[in-house]
Amino acid sequence: MADLVEDIMEMEEDTQKGRFLTFSLGKESYGIEIKYVTEIIGIQAITEIPELPEYVKGIINLRGKIIPVMDVRLRFKKEPREYNDRTCVVVIDIKDISIGLIVDTVSEVLTIPENSIVEPPKMNKGFNNRYIKNIGKVGNDVKLLLDCEKLLTENELEDLSEAM
Amino acid sequence: MKKVLIVDDAAFMRLTIRSILEKNGFEIVGEAENGEKGVQKYKELKPDLVTMDITMPEMTGIEALKHIKEYDPNAKVVMFSAMGQELMVREAIINGAKSFIVKPFTEDHVMQVLNKILII
Amino acid sequence: MSVQYTNEPMLDMLIFETTQLIEQLEQSILNSEKSSCYTEDAINEIFRIMHTIKGSSAMMMFNNISTLAHSMEDLFYFLREEKPSNVDCSTLSDLLLEGVDFIKLEVEKLKNGDNADGDAAALIDRINKFLSVLRQGNNSTVSTKEIKVGQIDTKKQQYYISQSKVEASTYNNAYKAIIYFEDGCGMENIRAYSVIHNLKDFTDQIFYLPDDIIDNDECIEAIRNGGFKVYLKTDCSYEEMHKIFMQTIFLKNLELIQLENDDELKQFLEEKEFTDQEYFNKAPCQHAIYKEAKEYTDKELHSPPTQQSMISVSVSKLDKLMDLVGEMVIAEAMVIQNPDLKDLELDNFQKAARQLNKITDEMQDMVMSIRMVPLSATFHKMHRVVRDMCKKLGKEVELKIFGEETEVDKNIIEHISDPLMHLVRNAIDHGIEPHEDRLAKGKSQAGIITLEAKNAGSEVQVIVKDDGKGLSKEGILKKAKENGVLYKSQEDMTDREIFNLIFLPGFSTKDSITEFSGRGVGMDVVTKNIETIGGSVSVDSVPEKGTIIMLKIPLTLAIIDGMNIRVGKSRYTIPTISIKESFRPNEGDIITDPDGNEMIMVRGQCYPILRLHEIYRVKTGITNFVDGIIIMVEQDGKSTCIFADELLGQQQVVVKSLPEYIKNYKKIGGLAGCTLLGDGSISLILDVGGLINI
Repeated sequence: MADLVEDIMEMEEDTQKGRFLTFSLGKESYGIEIKYVTEIIGIQAITEIPELPEYVKGIINLRGKIIPVMDVRLRFKKEPREYNDRTCVVVIDIKDISIGLIVDTVSEVLTIPENSIVEPPKMNKGFNNRYIKNIGKVGNDVKLLLDCEKLLTENELEDLSEAM
Repeated sequence: MKKVLIVDDAAFMRLTIRSILEKNGFEIVGEAENGEKGVQKYKELKPDLVTMDITMPEMTGIEALKHIKEYDPNAKVVMFSAMGQELMVREAIINGAKSFIVKPFTEDHVMQVLNKILII
Repeated sequence: MSVQYTNEPMLDMLIFETTQLIEQLEQSILNSEKSSCYTEDAINEIFRIMHTIKGSSAMMMFNNISTLAHSMEDLFYFLREEKPSNVDCSTLSDLLLEGVDFIKLEVEKLKNGDNADGDAAALIDRINKFLSVLRQGNNSTVSTKEIKVGQIDTKKQQYYISQSKVEASTYNNAYKAIIYFEDGCGMENIRAYSVIHNLKDFTDQIFYLPDDIIDNDECIEAIRNGGFKVYLKTDCSYEEMHKIFMQTIFLKNLELIQLENDDELKQFLEEKEFTDQEYFNKAPCQHAIYKEAKEYTDKELHSPPTQQSMISVSVSKLDKLMDLVGEMVIAEAMVIQNPDLKDLELDNFQKAARQLNKITDEMQDMVMSIRMVPLSATFHKMHRVVRDMCKKLGKEVELKIFGEETEVDKNIIEHISDPLMHLVRNAIDHGIEPHEDRLAKGKSQAGIITLEAKNAGSEVQVIVKDDGKGLSKEGILKKAKENGVLYKSQEDMTDREIFNLIFLPGFSTKDSITEFSGRGVGMDVVTKNIETIGGSVSVDSVPEKGTIIMLKIPLTLAIIDGMNIRVGKSRYTIPTISIKESFRPNEGDIITDPDGNEMIMVRGQCYPILRLHEIYRVKTGITNFVDGIIIMVEQDGKSTCIFADELLGQQQVVVKSLPEYIKNYKKIGGLAGCTLLGDGSISLILDVGGLINI
């Protein structure tokens, strides 16, 4: 029976493989692996929590579940922008942690074949480079594929370095 | 569907046996966690088959077997025993246990024994 | 293979049951040790527990657990059957507790989804050695051997059919059958025995090889390899015999031959004679054959608590149920306080709403009560702590327990076990004096540690009391100064304040750490643990009389009575229990000291004011005290005044913790969690204790 479950899991993973949800921040277009995404909602009333970094905007009530929201713009140290009716919250679930990512607007779900995905160029500067796992080519466009796990966990490292 | 009563003091064992039997189309009509309750439930539920642990508090499986056999000489009781309980198993056989299964057991073993006993 | 059973509910059940059994076992060991002997009941109980653990863990292929359990079972089998007089009770307890610890650790690994990969070989070895020493000391080897030989003789008489009977046979047919059993069916010798047993209805002339099927382990191999050979004479036809043999359970292969004459049978009997001779020359097989020879009929009541009318439910389901009830309470508020209904005359609606409210209230109470667990298990765990500590430190301590039936929420229990252990260790290590000192002071030789729990309103008080030397004010002050945690001048401090210094982070230093009470952390860990569940810790002490540490913990984490307040657009909830009063201040009562600290005079007393909008950087138009409201809160005898825009009203709120992501980032001062209000918005629950210390 366990095998069956595994099979299904594998199947799901298979159908999800190479599929990305793309969204834009200003001019750039980003992609998140679809397997992490649980839902996309419009911007909601956010309850601010004190003492958190600027990019953690606070918490929202997602049908009784309370989840934190992160402004990806601020996370990448871009200029803040007023939220409007195109602003979206992409709810992702990584390792049992749910978090909402606030993005300018969500574009579409794309399949990017493996051979169109390349590693990002090595650059020492460019703080947001380390959250980019890969670069996907779609026609003439370039999608920056995010490393979601780093997006969530890296701040602990920052904290440490800040504390020192 | 054949009705089975499971007598074992370990909840884990009851669950394990139950899941094997249910998977194979048996109906578990009751569980008991000691011999005394096992006998009582046998009289109450009149199952087609009893799985009986040997080492139990209150009343051992052997005693329970004797009581059940006294009440119903045709009762089909299968003992569940562990290595090292040879003499008790022998006593169970003398007292009318149809067969026995040695822990740790596999699903295949359990089904072989039970199916065979039911056709005898 | 047994791997097929490694699905979740089985494993959960194994973990649950083994944990229970191990606790029961530990208690039994400690009780036995206290009375410095293992009673027959205790031995039976321990034997049975080990037997069950052995069986269950073997099913799940946790061989390290099952072999250890097996060795302990063997030991207790010996104790039960031989009742040796030379048992070293203390060593026995040590061995057993070591075993208990090993199994506990393995179960803990399983619980965390790890492999149970511990190695108990060394411990098993010591248990076996202990057993063999007992055997020698008890001279039992000789006596059992005698018994065994005797029994074999009687069995021979019972099943051995004399040759003369063959001569006098009246049966018409002779058969030879060779039976092969399925691989791995276990106890082939007993299976062979049951074949013979079944044949007795058809004949009294049966001969079989090997013939010592009950008494000799080695014959199992023989049956496996060469099959079980049976000769018999009967009136039954070949078909009938075949049918009877085919009923054999786990039959892999049957060779059934009808014999023309008695020759082969006679030859077989001679052969058998020979092997009998050989058999008696051999030392009888020692091994574990006579286990369980006597059935035991102990009537003790320590059976696992599996009553028919009880079911066990996983805590996660209860958590989910609690969440759902919480959401229902919110949904109810959303319906009843719906703005659409404002200014409408709705008599029937109100009536129905009241009924709904009554039911949801009852449901809440019921769900809460399901989650309530008595503290007894947690308290009784401390016996072990006391025992180990005393043994290592050479002290004598008596543990007294009161109010163990007091119930608290399951989640809370999990949080107080460690702090309690820490406190008890501390009391023995630092509080209770060595017995010569105690005698010199005119105290009883054994120190007394009291654990007590009682209900007090919506909280539970847990008290750890010792009759040791008490806390030294001078020592505490000195250490506080050295470690820089003294927050005001010592002249201004009350005794209580001085004692409470020990809970400050950074108070404990390395040199005060011993193997037990230290472990690299101080009392501040106790405080931290208790505070995470919204409780508090306080201490009082009298020199030479002892120390009392009191933990105040909430009954439940899940639902509290709260006052909702507003600051700007943000809402906060203050637990009603910590609110003393709220009022609109007069301009004249406000004092600002030269450092800019704001204070307010209330009935001649001066209290600091906390501007919530400032500490939480909330935009609000209300910054003048006279425009807003002051809420005076108190915890642990300390008070402060919170300044907010307005009160929104009181209601029961369901406490939700802040998301993991935020908690992982940092613990936010003064926030205990959050809750959902009737309109779906989120309110932050203030942690009064934390706010006071900001």
